[in-house]
Amino acid sequence: MLAITLVLILVQVVILNRICLFGIAVPLAYFYVILRLPVTISKEWLFTIAFALGFIIDVFSDTGGMNSLSCLIAAALRRPVLHLYFPREDELADPFPSISSLGFLTYFKYAVTMTTIFCSLVFIFESLSLFNFWHLIQCIIASSVLTTAVIIGIDSLTLPRREKRL
Amino acid sequence: MNNLLFFFIKARPWILFAVYAVISCILLFNSNPYQQSVYLTSANSLSTSVYEAATGVTSYFNLRNINEDLQRRNSALELEVLSLKQQLVEFRDMEYARQHPLDSTLNRYNFILAHVINNSVHRPHNYITIQKGSLDGIEPDMGVVDQNGVVGKINVVGPHSARIISLLNNNLRLSCKVKKSETLGSLVWNGSDYRTALLEEIPRHATFAKGDTIVTSGYSTSFPEGIPVGVVLGELKGYDDNFHTLKVRLFTDFSKLSTVRVIVDKMSRELQVLEQAVENEDDEAPKKEVKN
Repeated sequence: MLAITLVLILVQVVILNRICLFGIAVPLAYFYVILRLPVTISKEWLFTIAFALGFIIDVFSDTGGMNSLSCLIAAALRRPVLHLYFPREDELADPFPSISSLGFLTYFKYAVTMTTIFCSLVFIFESLSLFNFWHLIQCIIASSVLTTAVIIGIDSLTLPRREKRL
Repeated sequence: MNNLLFFFIKARPWILFAVYAVISCILLFNSNPYQQSVYLTSANSLSTSVYEAATGVTSYFNLRNINEDLQRRNSALELEVLSLKQQLVEFRDMEYARQHPLDSTLNRYNFILAHVINNSVHRPHNYITIQKGSLDGIEPDMGVVDQNGVVGKINVVGPHSARIISLLNNNLRLSCKVKKSETLGSLVWNGSDYRTALLEEIPRHATFAKGDTIVTSGYSTSFPEGIPVGVVLGELKGYDDNFHTLKVRLFTDFSKLSTVRVIVDKMSRELQVLEQAVENEDDEAPKKEVKN
């Protein structure tokens, strides 16, 4: 988990932050870490990890508190969203939400919802200084689609390794 | 009291949430970027080293574009160097003209500085090519000199270049005189040594001595009077019985020509018109006599 986090932070900072497809779509792949945190984690740890993660990204990309605040709010909304699509979370065999533990459709819905919330937060905070409604909507939709695709991709990549361990 | 304590314990995660949120908001709304601590920006040592490592890899991806840019810039600079060299040549010409001042009696004449780009001394008919032509005001039959003496006459003119018929060409005869005695003669090259030429048609009665200076006579519009040509080395006996023939050492070193001056005679057109008019008058004179 720590290794994935570090790799994702590095990839985000070094590569993905420089990508801006069509001038609107930015892949925020590091958010995968928050989706992946176990459901059994305490709220204190969840908030601390989310804040720390966002803060590191903020420091690297000079974005003030934009990512940390977005991560924090998205992390707080994580449990209700997961509960919406998977009410019996206590029955999870594996506490880490993933395609293999939730099934593709549920995980996809969970990922889409969380990513949309997160991207909306990020771009709303970003546009506080420069407000352009249509551009904001475009950015949110495009980045959510791209980020979801990247997150599903990352989760699929980590799938076989986990199965081997089992 | 217990209720309050219980509330704090129960709400502990949300208190933490609030604290983090406040910190984030402070960071987010701290609008003055100059007051931020260096540790909170990408200028800290960790970020710097990560970015440096990343740049070390990614900088190779841009090499193609950078290379193209450099080549474009390089060609622009080369063009600039060429134009600067051109200017340098022009300034050198100006400096040359300043360092080799000309006689003030030559005010009637203008000079165009030119560089020799082709030259020969070994053929019987030698020609010199310069890099200035009609666009620089050069016309056929203008005289050409260098800092030492006479070089030749402009022969063929192109827009950017001109050919000089060299003094070392036995098609060119130059009207000269012995400076001391004002004795006129005709200078021609005999085709052997590029350092010497012959002054022919010196009258039998004329006096001269070895070492006398030969200058141009000024009887043509090509050369003003008194431009040095050479010095008398001695008489060439048995060459022409009716006249003296002198061997002349030329001042101009034709093997080392580089910068030459083309003489522009401001009065040449005037003289031509005048001479033409005189000729016409001579033609008309007999008719007038008949009328009278």
